[in-house]
Amino acid sequence: MRFVLRRLFAALLLVFVVASGSLLLAQIAPGDYAAQMGGNPAVQAAERHRLGLDRPLVEQYTTWLRRSLTLDLGDSFQYRRPVLDVVGERARNTAILALVSLVLATTIGIPCGILTGSRRGGLLVRLIRAASLMLVSVPPLITSILLVTVAVRTGFAPISGRLSGARLIVPALALALPLAATLERLQAQAIRDALHRPNMLSALARGIPRRRLVWHHAWRLSLGPILAIYGVMIGSLFSGSFAVEIVTSWPGLGDLMRQALTVRDTHLVAGCAAAGALFLGVGVLAADVAHAALDPRVESETA
Amino acid sequence: MPRALACALLLTLGTACRSSAPSSDDAKTTGPVRGGTLVASLRSEPRSFNRYVDNSAAADTTDALTQARLVRINRRTDELEPWLAERWTSAPDGRTFTLTLRPGVAFSDGTPLSSADVLFSFAVVYDPKLQSPLASGLRVQGKPLQVSAPDASTVVVTLPAAFSPGLRLLDNLPIIPRHQLEPAFKAGTFGDAWGLTNGPGRMAGLGPFVVSDYVPGQRVTLTRNPHYWRKDASGAPLPYLDRVVLEIASGQDAEVQRLEAGSIDLMSQADLRPQDYATMKRLRDRGAVTLTDVGTGVDPNVLWFNLATTQPSRGYLQKQEFRQAIAYAVDRDAIVNSVYLGAAVPVYGPVTPGNRLWYSENAPKYPHDVARARTLLAGIGLIDRNGDGMLDDQSGAPVRFSILTQGGNIRAQTATVIQEQLRQAGIAVDVVPLDFPSIAQRWMSGSYDSIYYGFQASAMDPAMNLDFWLSSGSAHVWHPEQGSPATAWERRIDELMQQQIAAPRIDDRKRLFAEVQKIFGENLPGLYFVAPKVSIATHLRVGGAEPVLLDPKILWNPDTLYVKDGASAPQR
Repeated sequence: MRFVLRRLFAALLLVFVVASGSLLLAQIAPGDYAAQMGGNPAVQAAERHRLGLDRPLVEQYTTWLRRSLTLDLGDSFQYRRPVLDVVGERARNTAILALVSLVLATTIGIPCGILTGSRRGGLLVRLIRAASLMLVSVPPLITSILLVTVAVRTGFAPISGRLSGARLIVPALALALPLAATLERLQAQAIRDALHRPNMLSALARGIPRRRLVWHHAWRLSLGPILAIYGVMIGSLFSGSFAVEIVTSWPGLGDLMRQALTVRDTHLVAGCAAAGALFLGVGVLAADVAHAALDPRVESETA
Repeated sequence: MPRALACALLLTLGTACRSSAPSSDDAKTTGPVRGGTLVASLRSEPRSFNRYVDNSAAADTTDALTQARLVRINRRTDELEPWLAERWTSAPDGRTFTLTLRPGVAFSDGTPLSSADVLFSFAVVYDPKLQSPLASGLRVQGKPLQVSAPDASTVVVTLPAAFSPGLRLLDNLPIIPRHQLEPAFKAGTFGDAWGLTNGPGRMAGLGPFVVSDYVPGQRVTLTRNPHYWRKDASGAPLPYLDRVVLEIASGQDAEVQRLEAGSIDLMSQADLRPQDYATMKRLRDRGAVTLTDVGTGVDPNVLWFNLATTQPSRGYLQKQEFRQAIAYAVDRDAIVNSVYLGAAVPVYGPVTPGNRLWYSENAPKYPHDVARARTLLAGIGLIDRNGDGMLDDQSGAPVRFSILTQGGNIRAQTATVIQEQLRQAGIAVDVVPLDFPSIAQRWMSGSYDSIYYGFQASAMDPAMNLDFWLSSGSAHVWHPEQGSPATAWERRIDELMQQQIAAPRIDDRKRLFAEVQKIFGENLPGLYFVAPKVSIATHLRVGGAEPVLLDPKILWNPDTLYVKDGASAPQR
């Protein structure tokens, strides 16, 4: 429990630091939100005053800090609504996309990795390896553009309209495929390592069928190293989803963050960054807990 | 010096008052069809549905669909049309107008329109605490209009000074419901009224549609206003459409993809980029879209130098000859061909041939002539002193300046071509791509050499754009808000524009404005290179579209738009 609490505290600290840093960076960037208000100096000055942008930077930050301690991240300048409400609406969509992508990547990547790690050759193995290498070397952004183009030309999946399972296909594939390829590469190596352990070699010598050995025993042994990097992968999933969301018009945090940065909606920038950090923190925490559950040494080593 | 950000200001760069009929490819129409849903894209998320506080393109679009004015400027003919006011008379002084409200007009909640709503709208827009972005478009020489209401159906508007466009100003003011918004106005919370959460389903408007639903990041749904007052030529009630859905698309690429996929019918900010034209032409040939060439754009990008802040070490940046040399050194045809892929025309001033009424052929032109550019530069002491092929000033320092521009779009590409062409003339240029707030900040603080940017035109008549032409204007971008004209030529333009806006006869106004264009062209406070040819694509199912050069290019007449498959089309 202490382990979970400590990790939870670390996650919250991460959220706070990321949100603070984002707010400060957005504030010191040239220009401000009032610049969007047109040519009339009085209109801009009034907007600047209404939003408190005419106050010193330190005062703006301390005001935000005070409010954020009560979980009030301020109001979005452009939407005139609490940041938490605006971010909450979009975070749900990002979470759905990330979760579906993670499940998709896992269900594709892990079995493929077990297959390629446990076999020496064959056409299927070569094909999977080649596809993996290609997908790993192509960033999700490019995959998104390709998938959107194919979707537009063939109509295999909608790229606009109401949010639905079908609407999720393009962004989820764009995010999941490179991740699945990474998982395949890691899982293949992990299963190879597991199969070379003495207990596995001796089981093989005792005549236990290789197929059973791979799918029942070696696979479990290989889980540890895979879970260890899951937290990091979840983090990359969220950072990758920002670009994918923009390209595929998925209304999540990435799209919102882009808008907020474009118009210097600093409170909203901080809110989006906080949500991203929260996702990362929770992902790492979940992976750590799962890893500790599988291997108690993890908890005792980090205690 | 305090300055405004004029970059978002809707500049009227005085161009053709009467645009010709667009050469639509859509030859076959079967007449208006009632019912159905039109799906348009919205390039950015709406911030509010309250046009009195939000001047974004999204607010403009929803405003065009949901609100109405006393009078309307027909974007196709540029004629002033009766709208909520069915008629008006003007006093002999040309400054006082008596408008009679159309009988039987009601807001979408059924409340009848009265002159009290008009008075309330003026009170709100001029409220000093609100500082509405609409207010500057409703002033004459900085003064508000005087408005009174002798009875419930009559409104008297008095202009504070002679102003030839007269009632055209009222096209800037959507009439809002007093019964619904007065409590918020009195409580000082008007800015929060008709927001994203408290607007949909509650706003009472006089336009053809009402906002019924908003899903963040996805769409705004508008449904037919059951109390809309207009009828078509056959007496059938308008609008034809049951619904309009505005799909929020993150960027123009997403919009084009959706149009290509057939999931939207049109783009609300409608004009195509040069790189999209080939795709749309292919779709047109396949019979999927209608492609309309509307004409030459009226809002070209401009390169202006900082004439407000003196730089002693690089005084040449403020010399007229230096700007003229640049005008000669830049090959406009090269920009047309390499950046705009042929879909543009060379221009030399802010008023383009697209603005047929106000464009002057007599304004100076600067054909590509590098030798002449070098001669002009040598005349101000800028010659190659060390034989490296680049020019140096009297102190031996290389002639160099920076261009700030918006990164990632056609402006940055154009700036790069200008950079290369000026290098051939011996001038070194640094192109600095920035985002809009950064450019605005540098402009407001005066810390820049030059900026290449564009402004959206909101009207053709130059009198509606005095902020740009007058030296006291905040959109006089090269040297804004001057206490008194800094140069003799700016003083002369001020005088001519004052005469121009007061002259009652259109011929006199045209003559005076032609002189303004000539002076502008000689002194070149802003350098213009090309104006794009505006092409607009709509899905083949869209009927009743009359694309124009000014925004909103298609949705300016939303009540007569229809979809050819009407209500039989699948719900989208």
